[in-house]
Amino acid sequence: MENREILTPSTRIKVMGVGGAGNNAVDRIRLEMKVMDGLELCCVNTDMRTLADSPVGDQHLLGRNLTRGLGCGGDPHLGKEAALSDSESIARIVDGYELVFLISSLGGGTGAGASPIIAKIAKQSGCLVIAFVNMPFTFEGERRFKQASQSLEELREICDAVIPLPNDVLLQEEAAQESVLHAFSKADEWITRGVRSIWAMLSKPGLINLDFSSLREVFNARGGKTLFGVGSGCGPNFIRDALNDLMQCPLLHVPDFSKVADNLLVNIVGGTDLSMAQIEGVMAYITEQFGSKASTTLGAVIDEGKQQSIEICVIGTTDLGGLRPLRTKRSASSPWEKGRNRLARNSASGKPGTTVEGRKPDRLEPANSVQQDLGIDGLEGTRGYFEETGRNEFGGQDLDVPTYLRRGIRIVLT
Amino acid sequence: MSSKIIAGVEIGTSKAVVLIGEIVHGKTLNIVGMGMTSSGGVKKGEIIDFNAASDCTHKAIMEAEESAGASVEAVYLAQTGHHLETFFSDAEVTVKSSKNIVHRSDIRRLLAEAKRKQLPEDRAIIHHIQNGFYLDEELVESPEHLEGHKLEVRYWNIHGSIKRMSDSIHIINGFGLRVEDLIVSSLASGKMVTTKEERGNGVLVVDIGSGTTDYVLYKHGHVVYTGVLAVGGDHITNDLSIGLRTSSNLAELLKIKNGKASLQPKSQDDRVMLVGDLAIGDRSIARSGVCQIINARVDELFRLIGNDENLAPFFSSSQWGTVVLTGGTSKLKDIEKVAEKALGLPVMLGGNPSWVAEEIQGPEYSTALGLLHFGLSYNHVKEFKERKRGGALMEGVKKLFGI
Repeated sequence: MENREILTPSTRIKVMGVGGAGNNAVDRIRLEMKVMDGLELCCVNTDMRTLADSPVGDQHLLGRNLTRGLGCGGDPHLGKEAALSDSESIARIVDGYELVFLISSLGGGTGAGASPIIAKIAKQSGCLVIAFVNMPFTFEGERRFKQASQSLEELREICDAVIPLPNDVLLQEEAAQESVLHAFSKADEWITRGVRSIWAMLSKPGLINLDFSSLREVFNARGGKTLFGVGSGCGPNFIRDALNDLMQCPLLHVPDFSKVADNLLVNIVGGTDLSMAQIEGVMAYITEQFGSKASTTLGAVIDEGKQQSIEICVIGTTDLGGLRPLRTKRSASSPWEKGRNRLARNSASGKPGTTVEGRKPDRLEPANSVQQDLGIDGLEGTRGYFEETGRNEFGGQDLDVPTYLRRGIRIVLT
Repeated sequence: MSSKIIAGVEIGTSKAVVLIGEIVHGKTLNIVGMGMTSSGGVKKGEIIDFNAASDCTHKAIMEAEESAGASVEAVYLAQTGHHLETFFSDAEVTVKSSKNIVHRSDIRRLLAEAKRKQLPEDRAIIHHIQNGFYLDEELVESPEHLEGHKLEVRYWNIHGSIKRMSDSIHIINGFGLRVEDLIVSSLASGKMVTTKEERGNGVLVVDIGSGTTDYVLYKHGHVVYTGVLAVGGDHITNDLSIGLRTSSNLAELLKIKNGKASLQPKSQDDRVMLVGDLAIGDRSIARSGVCQIINARVDELFRLIGNDENLAPFFSSSQWGTVVLTGGTSKLKDIEKVAEKALGLPVMLGGNPSWVAEEIQGPEYSTALGLLHFGLSYNHVKEFKERKRGGALMEGVKKLFGI
């Protein structure tokens, strides 16, 4: 019964940019993607001026009565209040969509404050929510960084997948002469590629078709780390180039990221000359690299206009498996309840816009309890190589994170 | 009974080292065997996988016993890690006798007073290190029979988490051996790489291992301060693996082969290959970038030590001596230059005493050698009484650990 859902062109996807940085990212997607069947963009902000600058038509001002359209001034509490005061209109924005991409920067007030609220509302209306969030530089200060980490942890509890893009890491991506702005546009580029890949998977005909319910399966576990990377290649050695590019993707080499996924989604967009044997080669390499123990889901799409070219996108999630006592409180921890929740979710998505009674408290409780519980412990399980060890906090910084990233030193390797 | 076989065991982050020594007539130490395995289950100096750590430690002990051709009677075990904490304590008494001659009972009262501090239930003292007696504010080695009014003593105390310590004790017990005493790594290695004169003048020893950096400050020949940072060579490797987007193993190899702590000018020509096999993922990278990553970490490490408030008076004092580096990570090229710049003091690379055999001369053996040295002094007849008094606390620890 569960996988009876068949993808129809009516799979509706909403891309929401929240806050200034989120709006910019959405603007970029609009410029880059010429064809976007089933993909709708919208901007949400507390700052009227930033909204007005955006070429995206669908705009929503939050908390008009609280901020008078002047923004949050970096205060996440104000951002949260603004979102709460407009929760009904947010519910209308996401109503009827199966998949919501939430894009924001957790360094800002609107991004950090409003994003978890918006995500929660979207989840309540039965959407699958994937968030791309920008993390501020460590050297921007302890307070800002803590606030962003807290917001990130809240989002991890609510969303189906959260992909953090740390500025510390993005800084490494820019050429020596360029400004920090370039790093931000690089972030937008990663987001665009991620969104486009998932969209292509759902909407284009493929060698291996993936439907929406398999996407749901991959994002079944919440609260854990996410693995995300994209790589592309073209020319005579396009497969090798793409794999090299993928392994070089900076987002796979962030202290915060998981190197191993329990559920892995691999999506390949190739040219007309892409063969099944080549796809198998790619898959063998990727599963070896990311050691997806439980399951790997593969989708392969053909882009008619391309030859000798491939774009690979990997998204993985980890099951927490009782690693963190915090999570075991979740109501979905027993297999029986997990199954029931899955059923409930699937039936909910079958009828977009409706929520199943009795599921709501499940969704809300963990998020609420986490908000109170959030301390340093809330960040456990995201520390790569030093994961199993005690925390190494010193003067508000985690010493296990590479020094050059925390100091904002740009490493030039080429 | 004229000889005793003891072992110094360090369950380190990258390797387990066992040195076996024979103590002859309670005063001569011969090193008769060694064993070393690359360890598993230890990160940042703490045991995270008991079975893995246990297996490789046992293997190293076996190897050492085989090479020594003898069985170990007692083990001196190194301790490090984030769980170690320290505090300073002092006490003073008025000399009671009529002629103001310090009597043994005055000293006993004083020592009891100095060790009065109670620790939380899950913590146990590893060392009470006496910083010397002060008789009427003058430093004296042994106050008994001297004349004075006010007698003071200062102690540097190191305590650790009982759970952490018992984990490592259980590993040794699991091999059927008894742990004679726990010794904090910095104290063991510090004694090895400095001379008595240096400790008299004042010296800071920084032992940089794979998982931790242990440091100890000597002044007037006494230990006055110790510290642990859970940062070591593994962090350099992890930084490289993230920065170069490669595996930890490759990053470690690159660090050993091409790593350098100092910065170097950017150059297109000075490049290193990441793997060297030209497979997917192999590529050439600028050596200057590798140095940038290592430099940031090493510089930060020394600045953290330099900013340790407790060391501040010593760094600012002009009569202050030198800094000595030891531990496996001190083999990193140019590390002393970076340390000198960050600390603003002359820095030297430490060496083990010349009587030590060539194969264990490397800085990574300082701790294990120091453990044997401690074993020797504990077994020394002269210190036997002292040991018994201090030993009472160790007995207490043992009871707590159910050994």
